[in-house]
Amino acid sequence: MILSFALWIQATGFFTWLRGSGYAYPIILSLHMVTLTAFGAMILMTDLRLLGLAMRTRPVADVLDQLRVTKRCGLALMVTFGVLLAGCKAEEYYYNIFFRLKMTTLGLLIIHSLTFRRSVYRRAALMDETGIIPGNAKTAAVLSLALWITVACMGRGIGYIEPPLGIHAALRYLCGGAG
Amino acid sequence: MLIENPLNSSELAFPILECFHIVGFAISVGTIWLVDFRLLGFGMLRESPSQLAKDTFFWTLGGLILMLFSGLMLFSSGPEDYYLNYAFDFKMLFFVSGIIFNYTVHRRTVQSDAPGGGKLVACISIGLWSLVIFGGIFIGFLNSTLDIHHI
Repeated sequence: MILSFALWIQATGFFTWLRGSGYAYPIILSLHMVTLTAFGAMILMTDLRLLGLAMRTRPVADVLDQLRVTKRCGLALMVTFGVLLAGCKAEEYYYNIFFRLKMTTLGLLIIHSLTFRRSVYRRAALMDETGIIPGNAKTAAVLSLALWITVACMGRGIGYIEPPLGIHAALRYLCGGAG
Repeated sequence: MLIENPLNSSELAFPILECFHIVGFAISVGTIWLVDFRLLGFGMLRESPSQLAKDTFFWTLGGLILMLFSGLMLFSSGPEDYYLNYAFDFKMLFFVSGIIFNYTVHRRTVQSDAPGGGKLVACISIGLWSLVIFGGIFIGFLNSTLDIHHI
């Protein structure tokens, strides 16, 4: 089912056009990296503040609350460019082990955010009042850093897996020529 | 070449170094951009630009060092590929400009904390580093399309 979705989406007019234009892919990839850089640093500063390793003189709430909106904008842009990239080569990526690992890690990050949003990220003011950063906040920060770095590394790995693809593409090639 | 670069004896060395390179870049340039966003009126507005720059100083520097050393090691794996790749020249031009700009004009503007000032400086900073990213991505892209080895 996922494969047929991948085949459908990459065959849509828009993605066919995108794949055909030589420079579109590297340009979108560059924009994906530009947003990664901006978003990555905001994640980093948030988590390092919780760990007491950066911005220690600033209240936790200052860092967490002020970066929330910009972080969301960064994430939205990064995901948009990511979807454009994946849509171009959906079939190829379906078989790509690093792409699968990256999506799995992103799934874990959604669970992370559902788990810790209320208990950690919305309680910055309380941490400033008591002056204590609780253990679960530090756990959340370490997990977030580890998972996001994994996402970045898996993303780099995607480019190292070369087509030819799985049996599906091979069959189409044999049966229908250019297909 | 008489001495083989040990980096080339392992298939994994290059991609792993690339990961360090990307993470180093995100740390250094991302923290510079955090200050730029502040100059443009986004993000951490309760802090002054100079305060923000002070708070991120060591992370910016640490990220730069990580990026630079991993970058030099990547370069050492096949200097002739990079020498022939004009995306690399493009990247180096904007990288050197970015470093010089960051530690001269950018730093002076940030430290002055002039109200409303520095928007142009922030835009130039974001632009220069973005061009470095474009250069970096196109190095790999040109390497695979130009077939440089046969020149």
